Amino acid sequence: MPNDIINEFTKAEYKEGFVTDVEQEFIPKGLNEDIVRMISARKEEPEWLLEFRLDALHKWEKMPQPDWAHLDMPGINYQDIIYFAAPKKDKDRPKEIDPKLAETFDKLGIPLKERDVLAGVVAVDAVFDSVSVTTTFRKTLAEKGIIFCSFSEAVKDHPDLVRKYLASVVPASDNYFAALNSAVFSDGSFCYIPKGVRCPMELSSYFRINARGTGQFERTLIVADEDSYVSYMEGCTAPMRDEQQLHAAVVEIIVEKGADVKYSTVQNWYPGDADGKGGILNLVTKRGICKGEGSHLSWTQVETGSAITWKYPSTILKGDFSSSEFYSVAVTNNHQQADTGTKMIHLGRGTKSRIVSKGISAGVSQNSYRGLVRMGAGAQNARNYSQCDSLLIGSKCGAHTFPDIRSANPSATVEHEATTSKISEDQLFYCNQRGLDPEEAVGLIVNGYAREVLSRLPMEFAVEAQKLLQVSLEGSVG
Amino acid sequence: MGHGKYIAPPEGRYQVPAGEKLELEYVVLPGESRDIDVSVDLMGPGAELSLKALYLCKADEKVNFRILVHHRAPGCRSTQLVNGIAGGTSNVTFHGTIVVAPDAQKTEAFQENHNILFSESAKVETRPQLEIYADDVKCSHGATVGRLNEDELFYMRSRGIPRKEAESLQMISFLTPVIPEGRREEIENAIRNL
Repeated sequence: MPNDIINEFTKAEYKEGFVTDVEQEFIPKGLNEDIVRMISARKEEPEWLLEFRLDALHKWEKMPQPDWAHLDMPGINYQDIIYFAAPKKDKDRPKEIDPKLAETFDKLGIPLKERDVLAGVVAVDAVFDSVSVTTTFRKTLAEKGIIFCSFSEAVKDHPDLVRKYLASVVPASDNYFAALNSAVFSDGSFCYIPKGVRCPMELSSYFRINARGTGQFERTLIVADEDSYVSYMEGCTAPMRDEQQLHAAVVEIIVEKGADVKYSTVQNWYPGDADGKGGILNLVTKRGICKGEGSHLSWTQVETGSAITWKYPSTILKGDFSSSEFYSVAVTNNHQQADTGTKMIHLGRGTKSRIVSKGISAGVSQNSYRGLVRMGAGAQNARNYSQCDSLLIGSKCGAHTFPDIRSANPSATVEHEATTSKISEDQLFYCNQRGLDPEEAVGLIVNGYAREVLSRLPMEFAVEAQKLLQVSLEGSVG
Repeated sequence: MGHGKYIAPPEGRYQVPAGEKLELEYVVLPGESRDIDVSVDLMGPGAELSLKALYLCKADEKVNFRILVHHRAPGCRSTQLVNGIAGGTSNVTFHGTIVVAPDAQKTEAFQENHNILFSESAKVETRPQLEIYADDVKCSHGATVGRLNEDELFYMRSRGIPRKEAESLQMISFLTPVIPEGRREEIENAIRNL
């Protein structure tokens, strides 16, 4: 197949690449104290939060940008980014969603009107550039005592909870991008599940970057009190542009005694075109703490987008007999680069973790798994099992595995396994013989390869993720 | 400790030409702190590496393995196996990297590192890494950190083998794949004296 057809094909298939023409207000470019004060003032934040932001900014200014990842990172000019962009509110109808925004989310398949949703399956917090547009099903959730709202609202309505948990898992000084986020974070989702409550529906955040020259810096905070349960999903898309845009988010999850949190991500930021131009730089810090005894946190991620992904959802297993899982599929095609994996820090007795990572690289992309499993001295009888497989499609891509295992407890057991291979000629031949063209065959084989992870996704996501895998690999064979 | 008889091959950099096979063996016995720093380049088609290493620590030894295997040509094969037992307050690190260059197709590269922690205060850190830039390859690595199997111990003890001896037998079997020819007796003695 001639190259230009492939190019056109892959380009055309990023169907979320449109721009919404909506009037937006921006703050000036650049990053300094004044900008941080401006963001804070615009959001009418209390003094303590401004202090937190300024403190983070000062820490960030002293930190070097990390370069240990297996990534060819472009220079980022942090003074050339707009840190806050919001769609203008219509003064006559301040309570309603701008029809253009509603249309945008509709086009993306995100239901913002509750009546559109079949019997209330998913509650959504929709974030457009720097602000949350709406949060659905609030009333239904409030009846159970569940708080699900935008981060800004949480700061206003539940300051004690936010203050108690903010930065308790990812401190501002944790790393360069977490510090940056702490200084300029704009919006995001806040979720609190009270004691003994099982959240009756999936909660979901949808992040959309729209404005040019901006970055998105959202913050998600999930608190699951004792014996509660919640399943949380996160999705994201952005328009196609020649410029690279920065996305530096922080997700913090607190899991108390006996609680269970399931966090799923389908990351589909614009990956750049076939020549590696444009795309989102996805540099995020996600971490949860299993605080109490018997708590459980599971991460499932499908990463198909972004020009660069730098992301390590991690769990601190502090409570005795707590457990965590990490299931990941990361696909890179064309010029995409991904350095992703997890950290499992075992501190409590009898803690368990399981890591299943499936990397798929095609085109001239680079795909790395990087993980840390640490058994602390108190992790009696703790257990970890990791499996990291890489699949290579084409001879110009790279697949890498960088696990790090540290054990300081003789009763702890850690196992790590990794394999690297390509789709075999036999498998392809078998499919071709039965009338599937090479691309369909690759899609089929890849879906089979990733099934162990895909089967962990909530229903709503699983179908989308399967399609996404196929689309991402379109044009990579032949 | 009087275990100076064995002379390990000099650590350093090796280049293996096409069709040749390099065999490396390392033994680190109790009382010995060592930095084993090896880099092997497989330069031509058919070049092969077999690396085996064993360590036994029972005091405050520090043993560091740094092994870099670079597959620079197609059709090469490498196997690495590093097994050991860390007791006392010893500190063991394994940092192994396999790099498969672009166009080094038909590469077969395997790397394994298994560790047993034999005391509360010993520490093991293992970082087996793969960097692969070619697609037609068979590469795998595995690493484990654990302890002696309680069930096996119980089995042997229930048949009249004392605990200490049962432990030694388990360790001998665990290390057997990396014991160099002709040194079995010496190493078995070292295990029994752990």
